[in-house]
Amino acid sequence: MPEALAVPPAQAQALACRDLAVAYGARTVLEGVSLEILAGRWTAVVGPNGCGKSTLLRVLAGLQAAQSGVITLQGRSLAAWPRRERARRLGWLAQTAATTDLTAAQVVALGRFAHGGWLAHRDVDDDAAIERAMRATGSLEWAARRVSTLSGGERQRVHLARVLAVEAPVLLLDEPTTHLDPPHQEDIARLLRRQAHSCGVSVVSAIHELSLALTADRLIVLGARGVVGHGTVREALHGDWLSQAFGKRIDVVDHAGVPLWRPALEAGAHD
Amino acid sequence: MSATRSTLEEAPARRTGGAQPALLLWLAGCLAITLALTFGGLLVGASSIHTSIGWILAPHAQSSIVLWQIRLPRTVGAWLAGALLGLAGAIAQGVFRNPLAEPYLLGTASGAALGVTLSLFAGGASVGAFAWADRLGLTGAAWIGACASMALTILLARGVLQTASLLLSGIVVGFLLSAVTALLLLSKPQMWRTMQVFLLGSTGFLGWPSVALLAAVFFVCAIPATLLSRGLDALTLGEDTAQSLGLSLPALRLTLLGIVSLATAAAVGEVGIIGFVGLVAPHLVRETLSVNHRPLLIASPLCGGALLQAADLVSRFIIQPAELPVGAVTACLGGAYLAFLLWRRSRNA
Amino acid sequence: MIGNSRSWRPGRRARGFALGAGVLALAHAAAAVALVLRDDLGRSVDAPNDPRRVITLLPSLTETVCALGACDRLVATGRFDNWPPEIVKLPKVGGLGDVNIEQIVELHPDLVLYSNAQRVGARLSELGIAAFALQTDRYADIGRTVRIVGRLLGVPARAAALNARIRREVAQVRAEALAARRGAAPRVYFEVDPAPYAAGPASYIGELLTMLGARNIVGAALGAFPLLNPEYVVRRDPDVIFVARADAPHLAARPGWAGITAVREHRLCSFSQKTRDLIMRPGPRVAEGMRAIADCLKREAP
Repeated sequence: MPEALAVPPAQAQALACRDLAVAYGARTVLEGVSLEILAGRWTAVVGPNGCGKSTLLRVLAGLQAAQSGVITLQGRSLAAWPRRERARRLGWLAQTAATTDLTAAQVVALGRFAHGGWLAHRDVDDDAAIERAMRATGSLEWAARRVSTLSGGERQRVHLARVLAVEAPVLLLDEPTTHLDPPHQEDIARLLRRQAHSCGVSVVSAIHELSLALTADRLIVLGARGVVGHGTVREALHGDWLSQAFGKRIDVVDHAGVPLWRPALEAGAHD
Repeated sequence: MSATRSTLEEAPARRTGGAQPALLLWLAGCLAITLALTFGGLLVGASSIHTSIGWILAPHAQSSIVLWQIRLPRTVGAWLAGALLGLAGAIAQGVFRNPLAEPYLLGTASGAALGVTLSLFAGGASVGAFAWADRLGLTGAAWIGACASMALTILLARGVLQTASLLLSGIVVGFLLSAVTALLLLSKPQMWRTMQVFLLGSTGFLGWPSVALLAAVFFVCAIPATLLSRGLDALTLGEDTAQSLGLSLPALRLTLLGIVSLATAAAVGEVGIIGFVGLVAPHLVRETLSVNHRPLLIASPLCGGALLQAADLVSRFIIQPAELPVGAVTACLGGAYLAFLLWRRSRNA
Repeated sequence: MIGNSRSWRPGRRARGFALGAGVLALAHAAAAVALVLRDDLGRSVDAPNDPRRVITLLPSLTETVCALGACDRLVATGRFDNWPPEIVKLPKVGGLGDVNIEQIVELHPDLVLYSNAQRVGARLSELGIAAFALQTDRYADIGRTVRIVGRLLGVPARAAALNARIRREVAQVRAEALAARRGAAPRVYFEVDPAPYAAGPASYIGELLTMLGARNIVGAALGAFPLLNPEYVVRRDPDVIFVARADAPHLAARPGWAGITAVREHRLCSFSQKTRDLIMRPGPRVAEGMRAIADCLKREAP
């Protein structure tokens, strides 16, 4: 069901990169990547396995060095930001939800680290942020349980709550919905959309679930040789970027106004 | 907002309900035994029998000496050394995110032993008690050895960021320096017996100067460690996540490993190489109290201190007037505990 | 009951031959293997008659061989052997743990004498070399070793004389020590190692001390070299402390030790490395070692 809220106009770019090149040793993963992440929009990064979705997010988050290129966060070079301030403005979610013996509440509380620092005690704002984040991800009921006792999906939601608790204007999420069942995937999608549209957060998520990705506002399509295209979902569909990226193995069809993907039918195969 | 906080922190999940009181009880028990054996004339010996009150009220000159200058500093010193090892173990397990990590991981034990050996060679004297300067010299040599071995490990691993490399090079450096120590000792076989006692650990000649040194190092290590505890919590989420939360990973690891090496070096320099305390104390705290690093880093020294103190008392009085090397007692206790963990694991599996 | 002697005449010559052959056989055997003895490791050793090339792997065994006047038969010694001076120039074939088997074989010894703490016997006998283990830990082992080595070297008379001399010297030192005693038997703590390891009455040193009339603060039940609780020494308050020369100045710095009578009044006995070697070796010079101890006791005892 599409959201009934009106989408506010796009604001300035929150995060941008120009001529980014990333390599692992001799193997070049990304080359000549120039992107703009707009604020207040939910951008999905899609592409085949090994095309560099995770790498792109990590480099944009400043966790990995690029071989060349420039990244700017809110107009300023990423490297120029002091570490703590950058952490306040950039939230990053890892692909694998780490298991730890801390409780869910303690993990989410760590998301407030950038705001308080080493010595800070949790104050009212921190508590409110934590509660909001846990409520939004539906993880409040197991706040006192150890994360190692939770299922994969529950763990993922706890970590998502942690990232949300940072209350950063830019969120880089690597596969935030992998372990979730469809109803919860839809919940998260709705949450991300709300964060982007109502709160002005720039959400960038690498999603391999194409149908889910197609419900985002904008798409970054990565192929084997770098960016196939980036823009709104409509532009992506018009430009047939997805078929290009996936080597003509998928088709995107329109079903009652909702774009869905299906495997491309081979010539000669019968329905 | 207090309602919010209580929702979020009902009660951190504990494995067994009454474990926290149990831990406190056990700590208190160790303290009681310590006091009894220290102040009580229980095991003085056949030649003179004093009651505990007698010792305190009308101290015979010699029993006063034994009490204040020998037993008390040994007991307090053992506690401090155990506390340092417990702290170092808790930090090491946090930095490496491995519950089997222990303070001697980076080859610091071998480095300290080599430092002590070299200083004994140079000084030509013994691992006995000395005046301030000499004691500092011996501990200083141990510390320099430990720091040098840690530096060597980090050099071999090419930085503090690769956990696997650090662990591997720590093992390599440990073996290397042990070999060098062994070679040195072979050339002077009469030192073997002395070094053997050092290598197995002994609180033999801990006096008040040693205790003061241990206490100073303990405060220097414990305070920064507790301040950095949140960083250790963040590390449990993964290094990338911790970095994204605003932590400077190299600086944090370097500081923490520096604390580990200082604490280990001081402990090793004063009481020799005592195993298992640094491994077991954080485990016990995690099982009974909390996994969160702030309480962990406060309780691990307490637990480690009580452990070593208990082991020291056993080693001092079980075959008295002879004594066992305290490292042998901790090895037995630690081995038993790990065997128990293994048994419990196979039972639950 | 022997029967009519005339009835033996027919077999007498045959018996004579048999007897003669038997004696010859025995003599031949005797020339090759004079003794089949059991050594202190329980091994049966075929020791040669009149060995001319002897190797000893322990200082006390070297001294014993030389004291029996057989120094010229030695072809090599252990690394730590330093008495008498004439053997210093001989090749050294190893210490307590690391004996150089190759070197020994190259020297073609007739007999190798070693300590029962070393593990070379089996290897050497595999290589066809007679190796005899001797225990040399206690006072009683001295006389035993002299006797056995004397037998092995074929000089039993000299061995007996040596033993008699040793007994005489020891008795003399003991008598002098007892005569020189001023008061009660002095209470003694002998520190072997600063861990602190003490020499108990069951050790060789402990036996010497007991023979000199001193009382060891360490009881016999604790064994030969117990690792003591330092507080015990303070509580027992020995009259005289035997300690290594390098550690003597630091005794007062040990916690609580400044109060010990012996430390306070500086009744400490330290020996040079040479004398210490002498004292620690259960060998023919035992009386000399005892004299060194007795002299110090005489000086320092209250």
